[in-house]
Amino acid sequence: MLTSLQKAIELILTGNRELGNILLVTARMCLASSLISLLIGAPVGIWLGAAEFPGRRIFVVIFRTLMGMPPVVCGLLMYMLFSGVGPFRKYKLLFTVTIMVIAQVVLITPLVIANMETYVSSLAQTVKETAKGLDFGFWKTLLLLANECVYPLFSTYLLAFARSVAEVGAVSMVGGAIAWKTNVMTTAIMLYTNRGDFTLGVALGIILIAISLLVNIAVTVMQRRLSR
Amino acid sequence: MRIGACKKTYGRRVVLNCPEMFYEPGLIYAVAGPNGSGKSTYAKIAAGVIRPDGNVKVTDGKEVVRYMPQKSFPFRMSVEKNILLFGGDRKRAEMLMEALGLAELKKQSAAVLSGGETAKMALARVLMRPCDLLILDEPAAAMEMEAAVRTESLIDEYRRECGCAVLLVTHDLSQARRMADEALFFFRGELREHGKADQVLRHPEKEETRRFLDFYGGRITEG
Repeated sequence: MLTSLQKAIELILTGNRELGNILLVTARMCLASSLISLLIGAPVGIWLGAAEFPGRRIFVVIFRTLMGMPPVVCGLLMYMLFSGVGPFRKYKLLFTVTIMVIAQVVLITPLVIANMETYVSSLAQTVKETAKGLDFGFWKTLLLLANECVYPLFSTYLLAFARSVAEVGAVSMVGGAIAWKTNVMTTAIMLYTNRGDFTLGVALGIILIAISLLVNIAVTVMQRRLSR
Repeated sequence: MRIGACKKTYGRRVVLNCPEMFYEPGLIYAVAGPNGSGKSTYAKIAAGVIRPDGNVKVTDGKEVVRYMPQKSFPFRMSVEKNILLFGGDRKRAEMLMEALGLAELKKQSAAVLSGGETAKMALARVLMRPCDLLILDEPAAAMEMEAAVRTESLIDEYRRECGCAVLLVTHDLSQARRMADEALFFFRGELREHGKADQVLRHPEKEETRRFLDFYGGRITEG
């Protein structure tokens, strides 16, 4: 195990090309899927947390249920939709990074929605009450509420990114883990470990944790600066 | 200023059943009663924060109503920005902060204020612009005595300046006696007594009001 670790560090330091490609594909996929999920999920979550309409609870339950959707089920669904017999076959997206991003967006967006909804619903009533008391209309109230969501928005992004970078089930099904094309860190770790090549697997594992740590530090610093 | 008849029920429990009321501009009305008597529910309905049963409108919608809830929300910004929300008279904000002892805290984040300081900031915020009806739900409950007295003079000044009616929900009977021109006494969701503050708070007609005054504030029957 120590030898694997030593070799892994060597691989990282010498700039292995295959490793570099896996890193790039992973970065593209994770950044795209987490940002798109945040852009779709955050407004929906804020709206769901603040709005009052009949059937609101049903939506909340649906999104909370989708939050626990197994990645392989999501992968299977995407595979069926985009494969040769699926309704979206004409787009020829199967085994591309794009379909991996789509699958992850489907997987992560409910997580973002449920997380934002939980936060917003805990303070929406007080914010609305205070804003109404100051004779503010709908838009001003919405702006005040959005302003309150800056801090949880960052933690929600971290959650989305963490889910994206650690996810393997859906991306391996729709991406196929094709070397130099759709192989990301998690699928590569699985692939190399299955082949008995622990060195590259360990190297990828170290990088995966390091990236998670760096993203966490960067987002936390931004969160602190913007929340002052 | 008219507040229409309103009723509010939660499940089977009737928490408020109040007849139509008219509030004279320039007068302060103390809204008193024990816990769960419907005072805050009435304040919220009058402010338009919650809807009464049947979703009926209780105001004509033309008057400006400003309301300070029992638990005001400190928005995630400085004290000064909280008071000047979406613009406002900077001089007036400075005056209010000075009067309420918030001047030194104006650049501080409102999120770190104590309960009493948050209440002062919320009061300054609600007194920034004129209105027809000002509703204050326990504005000085979390404040020390000195600040509570300063608060009273600020409310009085505001009422004189803009000529609005003031609904003051309070547990503090001595404050109600000092400030109010008229008083409303709620008990178990019903408006039991209404009249001149002096009469309701010193010589009440109803047994419930007498018991409440004896228990909470000590009834003053002289002078």
